[in-house]
Formats: sequence, structure tokens, C-alpha cells
Amino acid sequence: MAAVTLTNVVKRFGVFEIVHGANIDIADGEFVVFVGPSGCGKSTLLRMIAGLEDISGGKIAIGGKVMNDVEAADRGIAMVFQSYALYPHMTVEQNLSFGLRMNGNPKADTERRVKRAAEILCIDELMQRRPKQLSGGQRQRVAIGRAIVREPQVFLFDEPLSNLDAELRVQMRVEISRLHKELGVTMIYVTHDQTEAMTLADRIVVLKAGNVEQIGAPLDLYDDPANRFVAGFIGSPKMNFIGAKVVETSNSAIIIELVNHGGARLRKPLRDAFPAIGAEIVLGVRPEHFFEAGEGDCDIPIKADVTEHLGSVSYVYANAGPEELIVEREASRQRAGSDHFTVSIKAERSLLFDKSGARIR
Amino acid sequence: MRTQNATAYRFLTPYLLIFAIFWIWPIISSFLISFQATRTVPWRFAPAFNWGRLIGDPAFYNALKNTLLILVIQVPVMISLAIVMAVLLNSPLLKARGLYRFAFFAPVVVGEVAYSAVFRLMFSLDFGIVNKLLESVGLAKIDWFSNVTPAMALIMIAVTWRWAGYNAIIILAGLQSIPEDVYEAATLDRVSKLKQFFHITLPLLKPVIVFCAVLSIIGTMQLFTEPFLITERGGPGGGTETLGLLLYRQGFRSLNFGYASAVAYTMAGLAIAITLVQLWLTREPK
Ligand SMILES: Nc1ncnc2c1ncn2[C@@H]1O[C@H](COP(=O)(O)OP(=O)(O)OP(=O)(O)O)[C@@H](O)[C@H]1O
Ligand SMILES: [Mg+2]
Repeated sequence: MAAVTLTNVVKRFGVFEIVHGANIDIADGEFVVFVGPSGCGKSTLLRMIAGLEDISGGKIAIGGKVMNDVEAADRGIAMVFQSYALYPHMTVEQNLSFGLRMNGNPKADTERRVKRAAEILCIDELMQRRPKQLSGGQRQRVAIGRAIVREPQVFLFDEPLSNLDAELRVQMRVEISRLHKELGVTMIYVTHDQTEAMTLADRIVVLKAGNVEQIGAPLDLYDDPANRFVAGFIGSPKMNFIGAKVVETSNSAIIIELVNHGGARLRKPLRDAFPAIGAEIVLGVRPEHFFEAGEGDCDIPIKADVTEHLGSVSYVYANAGPEELIVEREASRQRAGSDHFTVSIKAERSLLFDKSGARIR
Repeated sequence: MRTQNATAYRFLTPYLLIFAIFWIWPIISSFLISFQATRTVPWRFAPAFNWGRLIGDPAFYNALKNTLLILVIQVPVMISLAIVMAVLLNSPLLKARGLYRFAFFAPVVVGEVAYSAVFRLMFSLDFGIVNKLLESVGLAKIDWFSNVTPAMALIMIAVTWRWAGYNAIIILAGLQSIPEDVYEAATLDRVSKLKQFFHITLPLLKPVIVFCAVLSIIGTMQLFTEPFLITERGGPGGGTETLGLLLYRQGFRSLNFGYASAVAYTMAGLAIAITLVQLWLTREPK
């Protein structure tokens, strides 16, 4: 088991800088998820930790030891690939034991480890099959098993569930969570799926175009995102961003006008920064943070275009003016008919961002 | 659907006709000819005439021995060489890959007569570059064309030179179909590059290697060009005569088509038998 520390880690492919100085501290035994849109450098970061990519700048330490010049094989990590990367010509058993056998590990110990991994993952029945004869979920289990057998200090997962169907994904998610509890080992998990990030992580690292946008516990990111990108990325459906203009400031609050919603006004207490009167800003409201008319601090009328009924809740897609809003409502049959209704925004359940996307608190 | 098929076959008719006349009929016909005495006209049906002669013919056994000797030495050496070449071609460190690929493939498209002439020159006793090189490192020169062992070696070298690159290109395609992440997984499993080659690359290349081996076996069973052109019709004294040459000599020099047909069928039968044994030996474990 080991902590993992990234200090000003930079990655360049030729002249292109892909990762711009990442600082991430991962505690021993922690489950950390790297999340971000496609191409933001998640895999690259993970592969640098694994030793499959050179580090162009900065330092990566595992268990307090700087790993920049340590071979991938000697870093004490195991990785589960998105494509599983099983050895196609070997049986499941051989896949699990290959690394140990090649390194002259005592036979009895190899057998013990393989047996234990098979038990943990419930793949005892499959030991004599080849990867081709397995389903996607079973292959994924074998890939994880191969990592377990190594008894690594750190587990790395690169989008391990993205090739599975939705149901299996949920099931495997739970199993990976359980595995982490059982083994108590540091795990770093890459995904572009924010739901996976939210459900699995002790802490989430949100990445965008090679920059670390924010690091924090799932609910901290949800409640208190550092900027508009994180606010939009965490949470599903996405947060609504409503155009607004500052119309009044006092020493503890500002009043903004929602320009696309008939001049509705909201008073928002502030702590740090006070934008100037007339400044264009953005109000962020999560779909689940709209309230019944009159219950909040600012009512806006909307017209529903499409309503998605999920059973427990319904999502109303409302094209109020030029801005599409997504509003979560209690599921109710009576409401299904009426298109026009009013929702209310609470000051404490909304966030402010300036035009560049930085948070205004 | 029916009428579509019928139309398709009508379009195919000219091809099928030519295929039947120039391909299927000769195969059947030569089989029948192998049971006829063809030394004198008119040919007559005599089942044991050619096949009986074959069984007792020292020339046949000589040619068979030479062919099989070349087969068991040259094919494995060439395939091994081709694998090494393919791995080098696949190396990310290699510059100008396209050039090498072309160079490896070039021997196949060079005219056979030209290539043989150049080989004869290179290996000539007094003026050849090969003997000059041997002498320059203090070794005795070798009379490649007058002794059986060097002549056989020369045939094998020539065939290997001509076909190793071709096989390397095929194996390269196989190499490139092995996903990179399997090697990455093995690296993280602490498996050395050498062990990766023997435990991952080779097993995954097996189907391609078997394919190359089968092609080479079939090719070598019919070996003709090199012993005909380089060692001058199987010289010295029949020391490099192959089944292909024997067939040629019997069929087109002595015009003994019956015996030549029997030799041809023996070659084909052996090629099939060896290939089947090979496929059986390298079958996927169930
Ligand atoms: N070998 C390479 N050479 C050049 N650029 C590369 C290389 N590998 C990755 N990149 C670039 O680095 C960036 C980050 O790639 P990376 O694979 O880390 O993204 P990712 O966040 O894992 O995305 P995804 O969710 O699609 O897997 C991309 O813009 C990609 O084009
Ligand atoms: Mg990726």
C-alpha cells in the first residue's frame, strides 16, 4: 500500500503539451477518480503513473519514492485496461498466473494468489476458458483478477467499465467498490462518466484539457464547485446556466436580473468578490434545485417543451426564452398536461459565475 | 433470388469454361496419363508401368531425398529469419520503414533468370564476391558448383534470399495485429521483453507462421528454378536434382509424360501430407 504524489507533472508529445503541471496528492488506501471529458489527459496521467509513458516534467512518487526513472515493472502497480488486454492464447488461469510464473514465484504461492483472486471475483468456474469464450463482464473480472494477483501497492483502472452495458456497469461498479473495501489498497480510477466518479470516489480529480480544475470529495464538488466547468460536469442532468446582469450591489449582497426571464430579480448574498453593476454573470441552478412558485427567492415562469418521466421524478425540458432549462419535478400525472408553470430559485441553492467561468462567492 | 443466381452463373460461364479446360481437365488428364505407358506411341493403359518404376527408381529417391533435405533445412531457417526480420521491421526505432519493406519484398519481383545469373556470379569459384570475402577473412574458398554439399547450401541460400522477405512481410502483418496493450499488460506483469517474445508474440503469431510454413512447403516441394538455373540442372551430377527437375527432365526432355505425371502426383501428395501433419501438430489445443 502506498500514497501517490504528483508534483507539477507535465506531459509533452513532441511540441504538444498535453498535461500542464498537475499537482495531486493521493493518500494511502484512498480511492481517487480522475474524471473529465474525452481527450483531457486522464489516460495519459494514469499511464505516467504506471510508467507506460515518460514523464516530461515534474515528479511522480509512489510510497514516498520518486518513480520518474523507475521501470514500469518495478513500481508496484497493477493496471486494468479499458480493452482488458488479456492474453488471448492463455486460459483464465494462465492469464492470472502468467506474471508470477514468469518471475519464478513459488508455485504454491502463485496457486494461492490465483485461487484467492478467483474467489474474490467469483470466476472459479471460468478458469479453463480462454478470453474469447468469456462475456465482456467476465473478461473485465479476469482483468481485475490479474491485477489482484500481483498484490500491488496501487491499482490503476483506465475506464474499465466503458465496454459493458448499463446494467453490468452498475453491478461491476458495486463490485469494484467492494473490492476497494476488502483490499484497502490505493486505487486510481479513470472515467469520463461523472456518475461513476460520484459513486466510487473518496475524492474526485476533475480534469479539463490537461489542467486539474478541482480536487475534492464528491459532495464537495457537487455543492461547492470551483468553477463553471466543474459545476457543469458534476451532476446529472447538468446544471442550468442562466444568463444574468448585476443591477445593484450592497456591501454583503448583489441583486441580479435574469435577462432572459422577463427581468426576474434575485438577491444573492456574497462573501468575497463583488462584480460591478452592469456586469454580465451566470447563475447556475441544478435541475433538482428548482422549487414550487413562491417557495424560493425568485419566481420564473417557464413553458415545458418535453417532459421525461423517469418514474420517481420527471425532467422538464423548458425552452424559456433563448435558454433551455432542465427542471426536475416530482413525478405526477396531473401535471403532465399543463405546459405553463412557474418555478422558484433559492439564493442559497444557486451559484454565481463570472463571464470567464470562475466562481463568484 | 433464383434468377439472380442464374444470371450470375451465365456471366461466370466463360471463366468457368476456361477454368475447366485449362485447369480441371489437365489435373484429371495427368492423373489418367500417370497410369499409361507413354514411351511409345500409341499410349496404352498400364497401371503399374509408371508407378512401379517410381518405386524402384534411384533417380526418384535421389530427387526426393534432395527435395526433403532442402525442405527440412531451408524452410525452418527461412521462417525463423523472416520472424526476426518482421520483428525488426516492426520496431518503433526503425527509420525509413517503407524503404525496408520494399527492399524485403523486391527479391520476389526480380526476374528469376537475372537473379540466378547474379547468384552464379557471386558464388563463382575464382571471381565471386563470396569466395573473395571468405578469403579476406582467412578461410578457404569453396567450390560451390562442383561439390554436392556446397551446391545444396547454395540452393538453400538462394531460395532463402528470395522468399524470406516475402514471408517477413506476411508475418509483419500478423505482428501488427497483436494489440499493444497486451504487451503493456505483460510489462506491468514484470515480464521481460525476451519472455514476452516467446510467450506472447510467438504463440499469437502461430497461425501466421503456420500459413507461411504451408506456403513454403508447397513452394519447396515444387522447387525448380534454383537447381535448374543456378546449379545447372541439378548439378553436380544430380546432387541438387529435385522432384521438380526430375519431372521436367522426364516430361519435357524425354517426353515421358506418364512418368512425369506420376512424379507430379507424388509431389502434390507429399505436399498435402506434410501440410496436414503440420496443421495437425500445430492445431489449437481444445
Ligand atoms: N502518443 C500520443 N502522441 C500525441 N498525442 C497524444 C498521444 N497520446 C495521447 N495524445 C493526446 O493527448 C491528449 C490526451 O489523451 P488521453 O488519452 O490522455 O485522453 P483521455 O482523457 O484519456 O481521453 P478519453 O476519455 O477519450 O480516453 C489527447 O488530446 C490526445 O490526442
Ligand atoms: Mg483514455
